[in-house]
Amino acid sequence: MLTVGGVISFRGLFNWLNPYVYVPTMLVAPIFQILLFVYIGRSAGVGTDAFYLVGNAVQYASIPCLFAMANTIAGERWTQTLGIVLSTPANRVALFVGRSLPVIANGWFVAMFSLFVGGWVLGVDLPVSAWPGIALTIAIASASCTGLGLLQAALALRVRSTAVLSNIVFGVLLVFTGTNVALDSLPEWMATAGRLMPLTHAIEACREVVAGASLSAVAPLLLREGLIGAVFAVLGLAALRWVEAESRRHATLELQ
Amino acid sequence: MSILEAHDLRRTFTTTTGVLRRNRKQVEAVRGVSFAIEPGELFGLLGPNGAGKTTTIKMLITLLLPTAGSANILGLDVVRDAREVRRHIGYVFGGDRGLYERLSAQDNLRYFAELYAVPARDQRARIGELLELVGLTGREKERVEGFSRGMRQRLHIARGLLHDPALLFLDEPSIGIDPVGARELRATIAGLRSAGKTILLTTHYMFEADELCDRIAVLSQGELVAEGTPAQLKARVTAGSVVEVETFSGVGPADVRGKVDAVGALPGVRSVVVDDRPDGETVVVQVEPGVDVTAAVLGTLSGIRVGRVVTREPTLEDAYVQLVSS
Ligand SMILES: Nc1ncnc2c1ncn2[C@@H]1O[C@H](COP(=O)(O)OP(=O)(O)OP(=O)(O)O)[C@@H](O)[C@H]1O
Ligand SMILES: [Mg+2]
Repeated sequence: MLTVGGVISFRGLFNWLNPYVYVPTMLVAPIFQILLFVYIGRSAGVGTDAFYLVGNAVQYASIPCLFAMANTIAGERWTQTLGIVLSTPANRVALFVGRSLPVIANGWFVAMFSLFVGGWVLGVDLPVSAWPGIALTIAIASASCTGLGLLQAALALRVRSTAVLSNIVFGVLLVFTGTNVALDSLPEWMATAGRLMPLTHAIEACREVVAGASLSAVAPLLLREGLIGAVFAVLGLAALRWVEAESRRHATLELQ
Repeated sequence: MSILEAHDLRRTFTTTTGVLRRNRKQVEAVRGVSFAIEPGELFGLLGPNGAGKTTTIKMLITLLLPTAGSANILGLDVVRDAREVRRHIGYVFGGDRGLYERLSAQDNLRYFAELYAVPARDQRARIGELLELVGLTGREKERVEGFSRGMRQRLHIARGLLHDPALLFLDEPSIGIDPVGARELRATIAGLRSAGKTILLTTHYMFEADELCDRIAVLSQGELVAEGTPAQLKARVTAGSVVEVETFSGVGPADVRGKVDAVGALPGVRSVVVDDRPDGETVVVQVEPGVDVTAAVLGTLSGIRVGRVVTREPTLEDAYVQLVSS
């Protein structure tokens, strides 16, 4: 159920899996975001191209992670399949974790693609030797952001709106994770909050890897990134459990 | 041992209206329902809209907790042993939703086979069998979004049977299906029954219930008002007859509905209902045994153009209408 079920439900519920939606939102939009901030950086004379390229490419993983996770869980309300799914004996942890695996893979692909194409367009030198480290860092970033996606999906299930929430969380991550403004330059409280969010440590690690750092040098950052993601994933699973229990008590999900 | 036993099930909903000043209202959807279903039985749960059929089913399939009372399926408590109960039940509701539109029929079934933990090596054969059973063989590769309502409904039934449940819940499976499709669906359900499946069925079509069900319970405003075989329910009104009068009153002062109370007050009349026809109405009068009310009814309806008048044996629908309108 973890893998086969995950992939089938991803295809069934993620309604952006259509080239007319996927290509513009997943492959073209991140390049615009990268270009926008690189040129802002250039004209303001702060930060290198690589700083903005890496920050925005990794941060853009939050679009697939947040939206796809919310769609594949809260989308059940539109297909009216939730009642049927919840009347099965399926283990809920395996069910929802299974659904998150394709989301993670997709988020990884989107960020890798953005980084690769963005680097090529801007002429930023990303050494071949750095790519294995980049791939691992982005995989961890995508997983931890999907952890937050699970929590957000539980909320979306309850409030019956996915896009609004995902957009807000995306905006928060864009500001707080040091994507375009280094944490040192943010007000203290924002930097502190940013350090508790997914992506922050992965972006920092990825910048160091691109600058030539070894994997062992960034291991502590990656560990913290993974830990934050795990905490959010556990919170998300607990929230989903609560939403289900609450619905059995108070009929809050209007299951068919 | 019964497959299912419900003891005094109750369910109250609290609804709130208004954003600032919240008004809480309690709706007693199910008010003390008890019944049992025996192995191999096709049990019908009938009742008007809002009677509490779906709410009862949701409690039995573990989607809702009862406010009070209890129920068990194969001896497993639907609250305490919810997860175990789910392994033994299938749930199918009517209408065209509840499927993953973007996926093929086969992938819809594969997904639920995963959720029901059907072993991977058995899945292909099981899905093939079920597609055959519901007559969708050859269409399994097509996306569900292109399926007609009847095809969707049959796919739903296949889905509900994937894990070979001991008890299948069918909540209005024939809703919105054309007569030919509905006939095929009834044949499928009858086939399941002869294959030994235990089924709980709800429907608003009385002939369907009459044709399929071994036993029927009638729910009205959250309470069971009758239970028995279709023959027993009919017998409740069989001691008597039904007079049907075709009328063509149109709308206006001579509206037939204005006379219903007067007809109902005639001696020997048990109940009166008016059914619409395209060109008028049919007044259906339930009559006590040994009384001939035809002349009195026609007298009361004077001033209204009257067509055919027939006296016939009561049907399950007559029994039902009498049960839920009294
Ligand atoms: N989630 C809910 N919140 C509040 N009230 C509800 C809820 N679900 C059902 N009800 C109320 O409970 C009553 C019973 O509804 P239910 O859906 O069980 O009826 P039903 O017999 O299945 O009707 P139908 O034939 O129309 O399907 C109705 O008055 C309905 O409005
Ligand atoms: Mg219903």
